Amino acid sequence: MRKKTFRGRVVLPGKVTGKATVSRHPFNTSGSYMENMFAGRTDAAPCTDASNKELFGKDISGAILCIPTTVGSTMGGMALMGMKAIGVGPQAMLFSKPIDTLAAAGVLMADIWKEQRIVTIDMLGDEFLETVQMGDPITIHEDGTVEIG
Amino acid sequence: MTTQTVPDKLSDPGAYDTVHCDQFGIDHEGKPIADHLTGTGSDAGLKEHDPDNPHKMTLTQEEQDILNGSQGPVMAKVLKTIVMHGELFGAERLADCGGAPHTSLYTGSPWVAPVLEMFEEIADAGLKAFAPYTVNPMPLDLYTVGQDPVKRTMELETYSLQGRLIGVHTRLGAVPLNMWSCACYLPEVGNTAEPGTVVTWAESSAVNYGNSVLGLRINRMATGMEVLCGIAGKVPVFGVLTDEGRKAKWHIDVRLSQEPHWGALGGAIGTKVVEQIPYITGIDQWIGMEDGKPDLVAMGKLKAMGSATASSGAVGLYHVENVTPEAIEHGRNLLVDDYQTYVIDDAEYKRVRDTFENRWKDPNGDPTAVYIGCPHNTYQEMVYWSKKFDQALREKGQEKFAIPVVMAQPPVVRDKLLDEHPILYRDMLRAGAQFTTICTPAFQGLKGMADIDRGVTNSNKARFYSRLRLYGDDDLVQIALTGKVPY
Repeated sequence: MRKKTFRGRVVLPGKVTGKATVSRHPFNTSGSYMENMFAGRTDAAPCTDASNKELFGKDISGAILCIPTTVGSTMGGMALMGMKAIGVGPQAMLFSKPIDTLAAAGVLMADIWKEQRIVTIDMLGDEFLETVQMGDPITIHEDGTVEIG
Repeated sequence: MTTQTVPDKLSDPGAYDTVHCDQFGIDHEGKPIADHLTGTGSDAGLKEHDPDNPHKMTLTQEEQDILNGSQGPVMAKVLKTIVMHGELFGAERLADCGGAPHTSLYTGSPWVAPVLEMFEEIADAGLKAFAPYTVNPMPLDLYTVGQDPVKRTMELETYSLQGRLIGVHTRLGAVPLNMWSCACYLPEVGNTAEPGTVVTWAESSAVNYGNSVLGLRINRMATGMEVLCGIAGKVPVFGVLTDEGRKAKWHIDVRLSQEPHWGALGGAIGTKVVEQIPYITGIDQWIGMEDGKPDLVAMGKLKAMGSATASSGAVGLYHVENVTPEAIEHGRNLLVDDYQTYVIDDAEYKRVRDTFENRWKDPNGDPTAVYIGCPHNTYQEMVYWSKKFDQALREKGQEKFAIPVVMAQPPVVRDKLLDEHPILYRDMLRAGAQFTTICTPAFQGLKGMADIDRGVTNSNKARFYSRLRLYGDDDLVQIALTGKVPY
C-alpha cells in the first residue's frame, strides 16, 4: 500500500512501529478495560465496550490506538495508568482531535510517576482517522510524524 | 497469574463498572453520546497547534524553581505533571488554589494501585495537600447495607485496597471519614469558598454544583489530577476557569406547567447539551431564595438537577436565570451570540421521562429496596424524607416498611438529624430505614448486585449509572410501604 504521512502535536514522543488498532468512535477508556480492571485479567485486554462495534471483543493489549478522543468516567485517566502498570495498556495513542483531559492525565501520570510511556500524538486531523484501517502498518516518529503503510 | 472470566457483563457497562460517578460517555441505548468531550465540563481548549512551536505557559520564578527541584524531586514531579497537563489545553499560567481540594479517588479496587503508589510516594516525601481536603463517600458500609453477608462479601472483595486508600488520604491531609461525601459543599461538611475562588475538585456532581451555585471556578479533572493540584496548591488556567469558558452555548427554555422532577429535568438538559454550558430559564419560580442565594431546600433541587446534567451529559457548569450568582450578575449576557435553544415543555419532558426504561434483570419482579440520596442527602432532605415516610406509616397504621429504605449521607448530616429530631430518627430506624454513608452507584455497581437487587430511587444520577428505577416522591413512599411498584 502507498504510504501516507500525517503530523500531529507531540504529547509524549517516541518511536513506535506496529499495526493500527482503529476506533472511529470515541474510546471509552474505563468501559474498554473492564475485564482487566475488575476481573484481574492480565494476559490480554479484550475490549469490553459493547457500544464500540469496531473494537468490542478484540484484544487491545499493547495496541497502537488510533482514535478521535477518549470519553467516559473521570476514572479514565487513572485506568490508562493502571492498565499500563499491569502490562495491557496501549503502546501508543494517536488522536485525530485534541487530546481530552482524561487521557492527558492518564498518559502523563503513567509517564512521570511510573516511567511507563504511552507514546502519544494528538491533533492528527480527521483525514488521519478516515485513512487508517485496522491492521495497517504504522510508524510513529519522535517529531509527531505518523506514517501509515 | 489468575484469569477470571466475567460472563454477562459486556452488554451492561453501567452496572458492571463499580466506580462511575462521572459522565460515562454512553447514552441509554449504549451509544457514545459525543465525540468532542474535553472532559473539563466545558468545550474550551486549544483547537489548533504549531507542531514546531508548542504552547508553553508562563511560570513565575517560584514555580520554575519548584520544577528545578527547590522543594524536592517529588514536588517537582507534582508540578511537572500539572504544567504539562495545562499546556496541552492552552493554559497561559497557573492559579493559586483557594478553598480546599475535593477528590473522587474513593474506591479501593486493585486496579487503582498505581495511583495509590503515586500518592504514597508523595506522602513518603512528607508532602500534604495545602488544606485539609474532602473525599467522595466510602463505597462500602459494613454496618447498614453490609449487614447482609452476601453484600458484605461483595464489598470486601471489590474494594480490597480500601484500607490502603484511606491510609494514604489520611497521610496527605484528608478530613475525618465522617465528612467524606460527594456533596462536599454541604454546610455540615463545609468545603466551600467565596464566589470566584479557584479550587481543585474532582467528582462531577460537586464540580457542577460548585461552579454553578457557588460560583467557584473548577475544571472537571481526571481523578488523580485534583490531588496533585491540591499538593501543589496550583491549577492551570483554562476551560471554565476563564470568563470566556463560562459562557453559555445553550438557552434551555423551560415551559413546564408544574414543578418537575429535578433529576429528570437535569437528565433532559444533559442529554441535549452534553458538555456545553446551558443557561436555564423558567425554573426560578420553584427555587426559594434567601439573602440572594438559593435556600437550603433549593440546594437539594439544584443538586438533583445539576448532578443529572453531569451524568446524562458532562455538564460542569450551568446558569439559572435569577438564581445562580453569575446569572444574577450578568443575566442573558452570559449567552454567546450564536447560542442554540432547547425548549422543554410538558410534551418534551414526558418524552424524556419515557426513555427511562426498566432495566431490572427481572423486569416484572417486586422492588427490594428504596435508595434516597445520590448525591448525598442534605440535612433538609433527610428531614423532608423522614417526615414524609413517618407520616405515611402513621396514616396507614403500619409499623415497618415493606422493604428497606436506604438513605445516604455523610455521618455529620445523619448526626444532625439525630440531634435535631431524635424521635423521628428513632422511628425511622424502627421502621426499617438504613442510614448509610455509601455512594449508591458504587454500591449498586458491585459485581452481582444486579442479580439480587431491584432498587428504586429518587436520583436520576443513580438511575443513569445503575439498574435502579426512577420514581417521584409520592410513588417512592408507597413503594416503601407496599413493596410494590405502581407502574
